[in-house]
Formats: sequence, structure tokens, C-alpha cells
Amino acid sequence: MVTEATSPEFLAKLEARGVSRRSFMKLCGSLAVAAGLSELAAPRVAAAIENSVIGAESGKLFPVIWIEGASCTGCTESFAQGDAPDPAYIVLEMISLNYCETLSAAAGWSMEEAKEQTIEAGNYILIYEGAVLEGWDGQALRVANEPGTDILAHAAKNANAVVALGSCAVNGGWMAAHPNSANALGVQGFLKKQGIDTPVINIPGCPANPEWVTSVLVDVLLVGQLPELTSENKPKVTFNQTVHDNCQRRGHFENGEFVYAFGTPEEAAGYCLYPMGCRGPMVKANCGIVRWNRRRSWCVESGGPCIGCCVANPDNPGENWVETNTPFRARFRDLRIGGAMVQPEAIAWTVTGILAAALVVHGFGMKKAGRTDGGAPFEKEREWDMKHPNESIGIYTLDDNSKGGN
Amino acid sequence: MARSIIDPVTRIEGHLRVEMEVDGGVVTDAWVSGGCFRGMELVVQDRTPEDAAHIVQRICGVCPVSHTHASSIAAEAAYGIVIPNQARIIRNLVEGGQFLHSHILWLYTLAALDYVNPLNALNANVGKAYDLMEAAGTSCNTDLKSLMSTLTKFANNGQLSIFSGGWFLDGLAPEAFKLDPEADLICTAHYLEALNMQAKASEICGLIGGKMPHIMTLVPGGTAFVPTEEKLDELYALVRELRDWIDSTMLPDTKIIAAAYPEALGFGRGCGRYVAWGVFQRPNFEMADRYMPSGVVYTNGELRLEDVDEAAIKEYVGHSWYVGDSDLNPREGVTDPLYTEYYVAGTEHEENGHMVGTVNDRYTWSKGPSYNGECMEAGPFARVLAAYLRGGEKNQYVVNSLDKLMADLGLTLPQLQSTLGRVAARQVECSYIAHLMVDWVDELIAALKEGDSEYFRAPEHLTGSGTGFWEAPRGALYHTEHVDNGRITGYQIIIPTTWNIAPRNAEGVRGPMEQALIGTPVTNVDAPINALRTVHSFDPCTACAVHVSEPATGKHFETVTSPWGVR
Repeated sequence: MVTEATSPEFLAKLEARGVSRRSFMKLCGSLAVAAGLSELAAPRVAAAIENSVIGAESGKLFPVIWIEGASCTGCTESFAQGDAPDPAYIVLEMISLNYCETLSAAAGWSMEEAKEQTIEAGNYILIYEGAVLEGWDGQALRVANEPGTDILAHAAKNANAVVALGSCAVNGGWMAAHPNSANALGVQGFLKKQGIDTPVINIPGCPANPEWVTSVLVDVLLVGQLPELTSENKPKVTFNQTVHDNCQRRGHFENGEFVYAFGTPEEAAGYCLYPMGCRGPMVKANCGIVRWNRRRSWCVESGGPCIGCCVANPDNPGENWVETNTPFRARFRDLRIGGAMVQPEAIAWTVTGILAAALVVHGFGMKKAGRTDGGAPFEKEREWDMKHPNESIGIYTLDDNSKGGN
Repeated sequence: MARSIIDPVTRIEGHLRVEMEVDGGVVTDAWVSGGCFRGMELVVQDRTPEDAAHIVQRICGVCPVSHTHASSIAAEAAYGIVIPNQARIIRNLVEGGQFLHSHILWLYTLAALDYVNPLNALNANVGKAYDLMEAAGTSCNTDLKSLMSTLTKFANNGQLSIFSGGWFLDGLAPEAFKLDPEADLICTAHYLEALNMQAKASEICGLIGGKMPHIMTLVPGGTAFVPTEEKLDELYALVRELRDWIDSTMLPDTKIIAAAYPEALGFGRGCGRYVAWGVFQRPNFEMADRYMPSGVVYTNGELRLEDVDEAAIKEYVGHSWYVGDSDLNPREGVTDPLYTEYYVAGTEHEENGHMVGTVNDRYTWSKGPSYNGECMEAGPFARVLAAYLRGGEKNQYVVNSLDKLMADLGLTLPQLQSTLGRVAARQVECSYIAHLMVDWVDELIAALKEGDSEYFRAPEHLTGSGTGFWEAPRGALYHTEHVDNGRITGYQIIIPTTWNIAPRNAEGVRGPMEQALIGTPVTNVDAPINALRTVHSFDPCTACAVHVSEPATGKHFETVTSPWGVR
């Protein structure tokens, strides 16, 4: 058979541009002889692969479809950076990942066919990454000339369960933040509207930690059950405690030792990042336990205050992590009234101020009671607070534990 | 004449459709359509530049560091901050970790399956494969025998998993996969190794940034990360391991693949004009003096390089799903998203088992950027060209590597422009950065020894404007913002892939990727493998490419009177 590489027209074209076959051989030296340009026999595949692009419809691998909605691919990326089990093991020996826009060998028609055949065969898990966009009748996200909303509804109907992966899939994520110009929402909210009752497992995070995904896969594949879920359908094992509960800087919080500016000696000493806006006390996720990037570090360890990327109310796109937590460096959220952004002190106080005060008072109470030793000297009114009255996390006196906040 | 469509284009970041007219076995017309609109620039409006630097990373999970970096550079220009030297080095390292991650991911996870048939590896003779490794000078970290048994077990089970629908399957385009079974086995081994190595490169970003994707410590003003000894020794080891693997595995593998696919030098040329804004700061913070320097490169006619002029950039929306047909500098951009149909109503019909039609005037969510009125290509090829043409001692590594590559191929620089040329240029850059990373860790340690301990500087003022000219692994990245009393009143982004997947311009001239597709040989319109290779050679990142600069509500983004061109 004449292939594109060996056709005379092609060689002529190549030579017209000054490329001779010989110059190629030179590049590759003896390698070219070995690697060769020989015609190959058709690849040998298992007997099961006859009229199907997914091979056998069933086998020892659990079928999974991974659809990217309005995503940044960050959750796929994060998943692909996990280990124990690593992604290669997962896709060759645990699941049959028949459709995954980032990893699949297929493209175009054969890609869509792989999805269709998997849906028809049934008994699969759907992992959906990214937001659902309802803008322009779902055309804000177009794949294979179809609106993204139709694609999700079709794939979700027949699935055993849907994993809404990442904060965008849980409730629209940053796309749902003001002004939400593409009408973003989460999978659970969308399926409810469509009357599709496939169970949804919500795994927030921006991105989701690979450990959170594999722990669900382990539940399904090895333990044979869906994980135990919170009222927001988030796996309890991951999302039932605050970041603060398991934070490695927690001891410094108890000691009243805080970081007030980036790049300071306090930062190097690993003091608590609460004054820098850390959302650890308000956000539920076990980041400090699973850590990130093969346990190399995590946000707070590296000096980055938690920005609460796991905040995602599956039933309310407005309650997304960006809208809830900005400005990240302040301890009080912005509130939008119409198009305007406001920070009324009274509202700010009721939203997070009481919590802030209570936490800090607790920290200082511990110190006063002598339950902690060493650490920063106790200041009645700290120097930093005096200089920054608007950002103060509170004024504390030895006589009055109930005081706090600003 | 037949229509050939790739939708979804897979193994990229985001959603992309490529539609082509094929006549006589070659592509004669092409439409590239960005498939998703998310509205990032509107979300950061009214928020703080510090918030924006975090939020804009969510444009892309492959190159988040570049986005937070460009955003922070823009904020620092607006705030009047010059970051401390320690922060500069740390930021180079975290950016470099992402570049290595992205380039490893691209060659193996994204592009390799256009050239490598992992199922054909089952036909390999393991002994011969080891001999080939030796001859090719490529590394041998995988036990090929146990890999064979894993693959055999996989094939016997029959479920194809990620290989489902792969174009190497019978009935699609198996004849287009030309490696020997032994070469396929080696490349499959390295494909799996690369999954580990790309994650390892990301560990550098995780170590400095807390987590990756979407790092936490690159902030306007410097860095929130303060290196401690136990972090430094990990960095020291990681950069060396990556450098060695890239040199011993990626570069020889590229030659194995290139040797089997010489035809890929014969198509995929593109528009022949390039933009590079430059990346990796030297102590003087000059764009033209970055480790990968800036430059606008022209290869049609006389080969030449120009310095970057911000005023030459415009974005056209007349062929995209936005209201109107404005062609404005991004600082003045007024955009209003409005989806209209992809195909002209009533033209859809069945052809070859698929629905096709006449593509509308407006056919993409991506806008059409131009430089001096012309579309431009962005990416590692552009950066390597800019470094090569700037030359001098500082760019010697790139000059030498490219000279050697051209000598080996017997090609001139303009002739190198092709699908395979893009692949090769990316490897040149990857190796360069891998070596620089080692130097930068040493530089960081030396600075620490001298007692350098400044990592962060606070704003001089809270009102101003600034632009961050930068690069993502896949090309020139531009963030610009106007800040009023610590709040963003205008934010604009032009992303590398927007340059590459631009639709036609006002005169009907096709965008760079569309031009590159013309002339690409296609034998099977259902599996146009050479077209897919060409598309992948750009490393498209379409979630990046589609964005919006103005609310649909009619709010106008005011041009400020103070000069924006702070770089």
C-alpha cells in the first residue's frame, strides 16, 4: 500500500523544500535503520474487538466516562498527577476509561462512538469535570456540534452514578461568580431541573485532590459501595472536618503566633496565616491530611493562606468559592447588592466577624490559661493591630475574654 | 470533495472543533472553532488584583502559573512594585516547573498517540527492543518484559480503556502508524514513564506553590513562599532528576518518532509570522533580555525580528460569536457575547454518515487577534525563533541547538516551519529550561548564602494600570488591568491559543492554524491523522483561548488617559 510517507508526490514535495530522505537518515543515524519506515501488519488486538471501538463491553475493568464540561482541565491534570495508585495503573488495571478528552487516543467521530457504545452498554460511572453552562441554550459549551447540556443529560441518564468533580462541577465554581455571564451551575442542580435522578457525588476543590477521586473509585471498585455522603452529597471522609482542624500551623494559632505579611520571619517560622485571610476555619476539606502533588506540600505549608476553593453549595451557584471568599486577603467577604460590591461593617461582622473573634479569643485563652508555652509574647493590644485598625483581628485584654473582633 | 471534521479534538486542553474541506487527498479549506465561553474577565471586575491573580489561573489547568504570573506582573506595574531578586528566582523556578510539566505532558500524553501505536507494541521482541534502546541512545528505566505482560493482560481482557477509538485501530488509520513494534514498545514504556515525570515536574510547582494546578504563593509583590532548607534540598534533587530524564529520554524519543514521520516536515507551515513576549526574568526585568526573549518574527521574505509594540495588537470579533465586528486594541475592547448558529440554517445535510453544512460567517467563540493587522503564530517555535534571531551569548544554548537541528536536517530556518518543526522546537526549549532550572536552584542557594531574605514588597500606590507580557508553555500571554484604589476596573487577556486558532480576519484571511491545515494530506476523512498531528503541533489550549472583555450589560470599558504600556 502506498502511504502518505512514501507516495511519490509527497517525496517530490519534500524535496522541493530541500528535504531529502537522506538528510533524515543522517539525523537519526543508525536508529533510522532500526526504527525503520517499514509497512506494518495491522495491530493485534483482543478477539473481543470486532464491531466496537471500545473493545469488550465488559471485563474486569469498570467502565468510566470522563466528560469535560466548561473546565480548565485542572481536575484531569490533578488526577493525572496522583500516585499510589498512579494514573497509568488506574486506566490499565482498574477502570476502562473509554472517554476522556485529555487522555483518550481517539478523536472526532470515533471518540463520540466510544462514548455512545459505553452509554448503550450501561453499568458505568460518569465523571463530569467543569461547570454546566446553560447560556445560549447550552451553546456556551459546544462539543461535536451539540450543546454541552444535552451531552451531560444524555450521559448521566444511564450512568450508575455521576461524580461531579471539582468546584465548577459541584455548583459552577468561579464561572458562577458575578456576573455569571454564561449561566453556570453545577451537575446536581442541572440534573434536578432535568428530572434525572442518577445519584450525584460532589467532590469540590479547585482542583479536586487526586486522592479524593481515587478514594471514591476505591469505594466503588474495591469495597463495592458508594461512599458515605454529607447532606451536600460530598464524601464524609474528605469533607466533614475543617482545614483548620488538621492544619499543621494550628499549634501556632493556639499560641497566638501569626503571620501579618508575606515573606517575613513569621512566615518562615510557619506561624498561623489567619490574619492573611486564611479560610481554614470556615472551609471543610482534609487538605492538610492528604496534602498535594504526591504529598510534597499543600497550600498552607507553602505559605499560601487557604482561599476556600472547596466552598460549593451544590444547590446554589451563587454560593461559590469565589463569591463567598473574595477578597481572599481580607477576613470579611464582599457583598454584592445589585451590581455594586459593598463591605458594610455590620454585615461583615455578622458573616465572619463573630467566628473570627471566637477563634482568636480561644487562641489567646489557651495562652492565658498557661496551656501553651513559649511562642510570641502576649500583647494586650498588639502593635500590628494598632497600626492597622481596619484589618485588626481584635483587641484582647487579659481581663475580658469576651472581647474581640473590630 | 469531502468534508472532514475532528470534533472533539482530544488530547488538548479545552474544546476545539476542526472542520476541513478535502479535495484530491489534501485539505483545501479549514475552519477552526473554539467551543466554550466562560467569561473570566468579567468575574475579576471589581475584585482586587490579588484576588485576580488567584482567579485567572482557573483559565487553564495546564498553565495556571503563567496566568498568575502575567496577572501579578500587570498588578505590580499598576502598583509600582519591582519584586525582590529572591522572588524573581523563585518565580522563575515555579514557572519553569510548569513549562517542563507541560512540555513532557505534550510530547507523551497529548501528542505521542498520533505517532505511537501502543497495541502494536504487543508484537515487539523484547530483546530487539533493548537493542534499539541502546542504538537510539534512549533511557531504559522500564522493565520491558513486565510492561509486555501488563499490555498482554490488558489486551486479553479486551476493554480498550483510553485506547478506545484510537485511530490506530482497524478501520480507522492503522497504516498511518509507522513505528516498528519495538519502537512502539519503547515509546509506550516512555509514555507511561512520562505520566510519572510530568507529575514530578508539577511537584516543583506544588513544593513552591502549595498545590498544582492553581498555585497559591505567587502573589503581586513577590512570593508568599519562603524557602527552608528541607524544601531546598527537594528542589535541588527534583530539577536534576528532570533534567537528566529529559536529556536521556525525551530528546532521543523525539528522534525516533521524527525518523519515522519525515512527511510531517512537509506540511503544517502556518502563517510564517510569530509573536513572543518572552519569559523567565533576568535581574534587569527587560522583556528583550529574558531567558526566552521577546520578539516579533517575520519569515516571509527577509528573516527579521522586531521589538514588541503594544499598540500594534488588535482583536477582531467579526467572525466570532460576539456582537458587531469591531477590531480594537484590547485596552479599548468592547465585546458582547452572542451565540449564532454554527452552520447556516437549512444547509445541514448528511454526508458520509455525518451531518455537515455550510459554515456560518461567525463560527467560533474565539476572537481574532492581530499584530499590525496580521494574524500571528505563538508558541515554543516563536520563542525559539526570537531567541535565535536575538542571538548573542545569552541565547547561545538556543542558537547552538537550532543550528545543530538544521544542520542535521539539511534545512534552513524558514524551511523548518512545519508540523514536525514545531515538535522539534519545543524539545529544544524544553531541554534549555531543564538546564536553566538547575542553574536557578544554584542561584537561589547562592543568594541565600549572601543573606538575601526579601521575598515580598507592598504596593507603592493602589491606583494605576499595568500590562503583564509573558508566555505560557504554548505561547504569548497578555494580561492587562486598570486598578482604581485597589479594585480592578478593567481587565483584558489575550491568550496564546487565541492567536493560533484565530478565525478569518476582516479581509477573509484564515487564522494561523487554518493556514497550517491547508495542504495537509488526508486519506481517510473520518480519521484525518495528519490534520490531527498538525493541530496538536500547536499544543492548543482552548479553554484559555475563549474569553470576554466586556459585559453583555453594555458597560463600557473606558480607555484610561495614563499610558498603559507599562511592561
